[in-house]
Amino acid sequence: MTGALELHTEEKRDITLRVFRFNPQVDSKPYFDDYTIQIEKGITVLRSLNYIKEHVDASVSFRAFCQAGICGSCGMRINGISKLACTTQVWDELSKCREAGIIKIEPLRNMPLIKDLIVDMDPLVDKMKHYSNWIETRMPESEIGKKEFLVSEEEFRKYDKATDCILCASCVSECTILRAHKEYVSPAVLLKSYRMNVDTRDAIHDVRLGELVKDHGVWDCTHCYRCQETCVKHIPIMDAIHGIREDAIEVRGARDTSGAKHAEAFMEDIEKKGKLVEATLPIRTNGVAWTLQNLLPMAMKMIMKRRTPPPPPLVKPAKGMKKFRELFREMTEHVKAEQKSHKK
Amino acid sequence: MKPFDIVIVGGGGAGLYAAMEAMKTNPALNIAVLSKVYPNRSHTSAAQGGANAALANKAKDDTVELHIFDTIKGSDYLADQDAVEILCSEAPKIIRELDNIGTPWSRLDDNTIAQRPFGGAGRPRCCYCADKTGHTILQTLYEQCLKKGVYFFNEYFALQLSVKDSRMKGLIAMNIKTGKVEAFPARTVVFATGGYAKMYWNRSSNAAGNTGDGQAIAYRAGIPLKDMEFVQFHPTGLRKSGLLVTEGARGEGGYLVNAGGERFMSRYAPEKMELGPRDLVSRSIETEILQGRGFDSPAGKYVHLDLTHLGADLIMSRLPQIREMSMYFEGVDPIEEPIPVRPTAHYSMGGIDTDNFGRTVMEGVYAAGECACVSVHGANRLGGNSLLDILVFGRLAGRTAAEEARKFEPSQISQEEIKDTEASLRSYMQPSGHFERYGVLREELGQTLGMNVGIYREASKIRTGIEDLSALRERFRHVRVFDTSDVFNTNLLQVLELKNMLDLAETVASGALAREESRGSHTRTDFPVRDDEKWHKHTLATLEQDGMKLGEKPVSMGRYELQERTY
Repeated sequence: MTGALELHTEEKRDITLRVFRFNPQVDSKPYFDDYTIQIEKGITVLRSLNYIKEHVDASVSFRAFCQAGICGSCGMRINGISKLACTTQVWDELSKCREAGIIKIEPLRNMPLIKDLIVDMDPLVDKMKHYSNWIETRMPESEIGKKEFLVSEEEFRKYDKATDCILCASCVSECTILRAHKEYVSPAVLLKSYRMNVDTRDAIHDVRLGELVKDHGVWDCTHCYRCQETCVKHIPIMDAIHGIREDAIEVRGARDTSGAKHAEAFMEDIEKKGKLVEATLPIRTNGVAWTLQNLLPMAMKMIMKRRTPPPPPLVKPAKGMKKFRELFREMTEHVKAEQKSHKK
Repeated sequence: MKPFDIVIVGGGGAGLYAAMEAMKTNPALNIAVLSKVYPNRSHTSAAQGGANAALANKAKDDTVELHIFDTIKGSDYLADQDAVEILCSEAPKIIRELDNIGTPWSRLDDNTIAQRPFGGAGRPRCCYCADKTGHTILQTLYEQCLKKGVYFFNEYFALQLSVKDSRMKGLIAMNIKTGKVEAFPARTVVFATGGYAKMYWNRSSNAAGNTGDGQAIAYRAGIPLKDMEFVQFHPTGLRKSGLLVTEGARGEGGYLVNAGGERFMSRYAPEKMELGPRDLVSRSIETEILQGRGFDSPAGKYVHLDLTHLGADLIMSRLPQIREMSMYFEGVDPIEEPIPVRPTAHYSMGGIDTDNFGRTVMEGVYAAGECACVSVHGANRLGGNSLLDILVFGRLAGRTAAEEARKFEPSQISQEEIKDTEASLRSYMQPSGHFERYGVLREELGQTLGMNVGIYREASKIRTGIEDLSALRERFRHVRVFDTSDVFNTNLLQVLELKNMLDLAETVASGALAREESRGSHTRTDFPVRDDEKWHKHTLATLEQDGMKLGEKPVSMGRYELQERTY
């Protein structure tokens, strides 16, 4: 399967797009098709796919709409990384190929597959609804349309970057938690929740936060930063996730949920010993009953394999703890002072 | 299936506002929104610059009256003045309403909604959120619709109205995920499917799906289309892709410069310079290029949009998307170098003929937004008035449909009609007699329109265009859908969209040939002057038994008399 895609510039070469294929009507399992076409410098992956669809194989299926990086339709994995096909230059991908000259194109992960490069977006929309990701206005019904809210530059700046999100779901695809459990809220939804929660025009901050701290919510994130690294709009998604967590501890207290308790236990250990006391961490996070019920079988296995963490008295403070505690205190005060000035 | 009270076709700004307003007007109604993409993908998201409203936040002496006058003058006096009055007087309310429900408007120093200057406007009245205004409005409306529990049929492709004895019975659409043709019996149908400027293909800033689906369906059902010949060419499309650089870039102070280094707008609009209205600026660029003062490159001729003097800070804070696009699609960083641009087909002023409340001539059928022609834009739309149009008239159409829905009897769509439609779709996949490739026809459609019915038009060229179009329609009968699967058959969608564009292209070209004058975006080199005596009227294109017929409709005048339009 070959062809040529030209822009009338100087550089061109044969490049293979190895495309993930799956048609649920006929295929029992997915496979890859190789399409080798001549591509010039300056051509995007989407234009190459369009070319293949028009000139080589009309059955290759993918979503695309604006072709300008704003509608978010053409999210797919290109050489293993989730991104938009319309803003990705073929030439830039050449250095990222596992096999020289072969660009691998696959559907986004963590969402149900429909066909070829098309995945089902409904679960993401359902989560947006579940976490009430909309503004419930503070403006009384009778005043709507008559008055505008006054919003300071500083308030605006808090949600400005988050409103860049085009819901392309690249972050959802890259999320390591979602791979393990699909009920997890997901980074895009957390970002949207954060954007709503810092908006002074909104009236349901507490309701949303109450939902976010439950199971599969904000505390499940493991800070792998994959979402932020791959965000096509360069949004600091982890700042939003941390923002929700800080807000949760501040508003709801540190003993509110297992997530908050886990964070607190971490802090306590680090301050006391400079390292974690892992043996008691589950108990301090989730309580004795939960730990016995959920972790006993694993604990037994760990004992059999001699992999149990040392009991608390054997966890000696790390070297240089005195200096460390000073630094720790200084840091804590600095953060507190900064939070105060933010509030003003 | 239980009949719907309202079926809204299209999930962009107009469709979503219609849905929200319809639910508010009568919460007991059974309302559905059908969209061929997830609503948040709609082309409203691509509107960068902003929405006009005389809030008088920036210029304290701005008024609704001034906005009305600018709009009427901008339309080259073809807009209906009563409709423009609704548009402009509703504007401040609707912008505040969006603020109330979460649109993240940029702010002025006094914390009010920010406004910037825009082409053809006497005051800085364009409300914006950086250069992502449409995107943030669309997000806000989608969020609110999810909140209200609007019932969405995402990824459904509308095929036709079911009409019996000139009574509309509902809509027939294809579920893209399954390939099944489904009936949506409905008391009312609201079309909000966006524009048709993608028919110019590579010389268009539009999304791939802006193929005039709603207009084509209405047209084939016998509903007249109005002023189809008026297609706006946006002055600043990127040279290689036709993608858009917002007018906001000139609003913020960008210069247009020819190959001689001259700010050539001084010769065409000495007062407004780069901020002249779009039709004038597009013609000026085209003239510069035609007279050999443009730059040349293998990817086409162009002029420069120079932002370098604005400085990195302003470009990063107010025009970040533009910078990104210039870098992605032209390899140019506007902080360092000028952006290569040329005019690109951008907006369709024409559309389904409606009254001021979204009603069409067929009972129970409504239209709003770029899909409709009320007309508030006349022969040329002002920047910042299209977002406003979809909001104001999306809301009005939703309200009107909600108020009138229960007046119409519910009906059913026969299984036979569904089966026939299904069979007609399958027929594209038959190998015998089907050999034309979709991509080839679409390419030729864009080329002939660009060459013969583009910015500069004349009778002989348009006639060539019309001949090309009829040959293309003939060849379309042999077009083949090569993908035979039911699930997500995007090849079939492309072919159906091409059919819509081909049907509408005839109305654009025929309207352009008939209108023997130059007005707004429609420039006839053989009739270079506006002819109010003969042509101060709307054109109507109606599909009858024996083909397309052109008719006319008077323009509603008001307090503004016809004047020469100079800037």
